[in-house]
Amino acid sequence: MSRFRPRGVWGFILRRLLLGIVVLILVSILVFLATQALPGDPALAILGRSATPQSLAALRRQLHLDQPVFTQYWTWVTGLLRGNLGRSLEAQEPISTLLSPKLVNSAVLVALAAILSIPLSIAIGAWAALKREKVFDQASSNLLLLLAALPEFVVALVLVILFATTVSHVLPAISTIPPGSRPWNNWVALVLPTLTLVIAVVPYVSRIMRASMIEVLESDYVEMARLKGLPERTVLIRHALPNALGPVFQVIALNLAYLAGGIIVIEFVFNYSGIGGAIREAVVNHDLPVIQALAMLIAAVYVILNLLADVATILVTPKLRTRL
Amino acid sequence: MTDVSRRQLLVGGAGLAAVGGLAAACGSSSSSPSTGAATGASGAPKRGGNFRLGVTGGGSKDIMDGQNIITKPDQARLVSAFETLLLFDENYQLTENGLAQSVTQDSPTQYTIRLRQGIEFQNGKTLTADDVIYSFQRIGTKAYGLTGYAATATMDIAAMKKLDQYTVRLPLKTPDSTVPQTLGSYTFNMVPTGYKAYPAPQVGTGAYKLKSFTPGQQSVHERNPNYWRTGQPYFDTVTITDFSDATAQSNALLGGQIDAMTDVAPSQVKVLQAQNVGVLVSKTGGWIPICMAIDIPPFDDARVRQAMRLIVDRKGLLEQVFSGYGFIGNDLYAPFDPGYNHSLPQREQDIAQAKSLLKAAGKANLAVDLHTTNGASGMVETATVFANQASAAGVKINVINDPNFYGTQYLKLAFSVDFWGTRAYLNQVQQGSLPTSPYNETHWPPKSGTGSNFESLYNQALAETNPATRVQIMHEMQSAEYEVGGYIIPCFGGLIDGYSTKVKGLKPSKGTLNLDSFGHGYRTIWFG
Repeated sequence: MSRFRPRGVWGFILRRLLLGIVVLILVSILVFLATQALPGDPALAILGRSATPQSLAALRRQLHLDQPVFTQYWTWVTGLLRGNLGRSLEAQEPISTLLSPKLVNSAVLVALAAILSIPLSIAIGAWAALKREKVFDQASSNLLLLLAALPEFVVALVLVILFATTVSHVLPAISTIPPGSRPWNNWVALVLPTLTLVIAVVPYVSRIMRASMIEVLESDYVEMARLKGLPERTVLIRHALPNALGPVFQVIALNLAYLAGGIIVIEFVFNYSGIGGAIREAVVNHDLPVIQALAMLIAAVYVILNLLADVATILVTPKLRTRL
Repeated sequence: MTDVSRRQLLVGGAGLAAVGGLAAACGSSSSSPSTGAATGASGAPKRGGNFRLGVTGGGSKDIMDGQNIITKPDQARLVSAFETLLLFDENYQLTENGLAQSVTQDSPTQYTIRLRQGIEFQNGKTLTADDVIYSFQRIGTKAYGLTGYAATATMDIAAMKKLDQYTVRLPLKTPDSTVPQTLGSYTFNMVPTGYKAYPAPQVGTGAYKLKSFTPGQQSVHERNPNYWRTGQPYFDTVTITDFSDATAQSNALLGGQIDAMTDVAPSQVKVLQAQNVGVLVSKTGGWIPICMAIDIPPFDDARVRQAMRLIVDRKGLLEQVFSGYGFIGNDLYAPFDPGYNHSLPQREQDIAQAKSLLKAAGKANLAVDLHTTNGASGMVETATVFANQASAAGVKINVINDPNFYGTQYLKLAFSVDFWGTRAYLNQVQQGSLPTSPYNETHWPPKSGTGSNFESLYNQALAETNPATRVQIMHEMQSAEYEVGGYIIPCFGGLIDGYSTKVKGLKPSKGTLNLDSFGHGYRTIWFG
C-alpha cells in the first residue's frame, strides 16, 4: 500500500485535499438528508397555512421533489459544482446574487480580525512565556481569562457603550453597509466589530501560544542552542518560535472557522449584513436552497482552514516534515 | 422578535392589516406623564435634512407595492409614496383629508367618490377617476393577493363608473357601511393606471419618491417637490434601514446613526429616556385575545367561558405583560369605534364567582391546554400570566408555545392566544367574528340562544345608512359578545417608538402604524 502513497509536502497536501473532498461529499449527503429527504413534505413545511394544491405542486417542481431522491441529490450536487446554487424561495433571486455581497462583508470582517489577532496573540503569548510568572505574564493571563469568559455580545455591547453611546460618541454604534457600498468604504464602522472579534480570538490563541512556548523553552534543543552560545535572539526566533507555533495554528484555524459561521451575534449587535444573518433568515423562512448552500459553504470553509493549518504546522515543524 | 410577515400572510386579506400592536405595549399617561406628549411644540417646521429610520421585522422578502405589505419595513416604505382616499386621524376617526374631497353614500349599495382636483402623481400625471378605477380593480383582483382584497367582497368593481374626470361611482353587490373605513385603511392606496409593484417604477401621490431599494437592507426616498399639500414635506430625503435586532436599533438611535426607531421594548423606555432620547407612546387598539372556541368542550358551556373571563386580573396582566403601557379591556374589541359600547360594566376579577360557575358546569378541576406562539410580542407572556392567574381558581392551564401555531391546527383549537391590530368594529367583525370570516378563532356566533342573530344584525348594520341607528345595532351585537362571546380581551397594548429629540412634530396616534403613522408618511415631522 505505502508504495502508492504520494510522498513529501506536496504529497501530503494532495492527500489532505482528497480527504477534504471526501468530507465535503459526506457533508453534502448529510445536508441533503437533513433538509430535503426527511420524511414528510418539505413543500408543505415551507408553505404552511398558505399552501394551496397549485402552490404545493409548483414548489415541489421547483425543489425537484417530484423526482426520485437520488436524482434530486444529483441535480443539486452537480448544480453546486457548476457554481449554480439555485434560487432563494423568499427573495426569488439566484442565491449567488443574494449571498455574494454578504459573503464579501463577512470575509472582510474575519480577515481583518485574523490579520490583527494572530500577530497580536502570538506576541502576547510568546512574551508572557518569556516573562513567566512576572508582572506582564500575570496581568495578561488574568485579563485574557476574564475576556475569554465574556460572550462576544457582552464584549460588543460594552464597546458600544464605551465608544458609541453612553460614555462617548467617537465611533458609530452600528456598522450598516448601505446597498451597493463595500465594507472598506466606511472603515470607521468596522472598528468596533473587528475589535470585538479580536477580543474573542486573542485570549484562546495567546494562551495556547504561551503554553506551547513554555514547553519549547524547556526543551533540550533550546537548552542545547543556548549552551552552544547562540545569541538569545537567534535561540528564540530560529529555534523556539517556529516549534511553538505548530499547535497554535490548529487553534487559529478552529477560531477562524468558528468566526466564519459564528459571527451572527456580532452581525446582530452591529446590524452588519453578513452570512450569519443570512443563515438565520433562511432558517426562519424555511428557505431550503439557501440553507443548503450556506451549510455547504461553511463546511468548505472549515475544511480549507483545517487544511491550511495542517500544512502550516508541517512547514514550521521540522520533526513532522521529515516524517512525511 | 416581531414577525409581521408570518402573521401578515395569515391576515393578508384584511382591509386594515392586523399588524399593529406588535410591540404590544402602549402608554398610560397616568403612569408615565413625560411620554406621549407631542414633540412638535417648538416653532414652525423647517426644511431639510435626511431622516433616518430603523425598522425591525424585515428581510429579503421585503416588497414595495403601493397596495400590499408583507413585513413591517414594507409599511414604513409604503406610506412614503402612496396615499389613500380617506384618512384616519390620530384618534382613529375617519376624515376627508385624503385624496378624496368627499366619499358619500348615496344608498345602502352605492357610494360616490369625489377626488380633490389638481393632485399630481410623482411623474407629473394628474390623479383622475381612471386611476381610482384602476386602483380598485388591482386590489379586487384575487390573483394578485393584495392586502385589501377581502374588503372588496361587497364592491361591484366591474360596474364602477367614471362620472367625470374627478368623480367615480362605486356600486356595491350587497350593502356595506364599512366602505369608508376600508378606503381609509393604509394599504388601500391610489396608484396610477398601469401601476406595477417594485422593481417597476414606483409612482404614487405621496410626499417622497423612491430612489433606491434593497430588500432586507435599505431604501432611500427623495422629497417630491410637486407634493400637493403646500409646504410639506420637510425632509430632503428619508432613509429606511432594516434592523435584525432591537438592541442594535436602540444603540443606533443613542449613537446618532438613526433619528427614529420602531418598537421599543417596554423595559427599555426608561433607559432611553435617561439618555435624552424621545419615547413616543401610542395607545392603539391592538389586542392580544385569549380565544375560546364556543363549540368545542369545555368552552361550549357559556358558564365556563364566563368563569374564564372572571379569572383574569386585567390590571395585573397589563402590568406584567406590557409594563403598564396600555389600558384594560372589557372583552370587546375596536375601542375607538364610535359604536363601541361603553355602557357595559367593566368586568373585574372574581375568583369566587368563577369557581362557583365552574362547579355548576361540572368543571371544578378543569385542566386545559392553551396554545400560542412567539408571533407578536406579548402573546406568550399573556398566556403564561393568564395560566398563573387561573391557578387561583383551581384551573390548571398548560401553555403550549408552538412554533407551528399558524399551521394546520390554527383556528381549530379550543383555547389559544392570537393577536390583532386596530380596526373599526364592523371591519373587525368581518375579519374574525362571522362564519365567513377568514380568521374566526372563537367560532362565533353561536347557532342558538344569545348571539345567534349576530350575523343578521351585522348585515343590518352594513345596510343601515343612519349612523345613530347603526350604533344601536352595534351595541346590541357587542352585548351578545360581552355576555357569551369567546374572546377574553384583558387589555389593549400599543406602540412604543423611539426618536431623536431633534425630530419635531410626532404625536401619539391610535392607528395601526408605528411612529404616528410614520410621521403621516414623513410629511408632518421635521428637524427642529
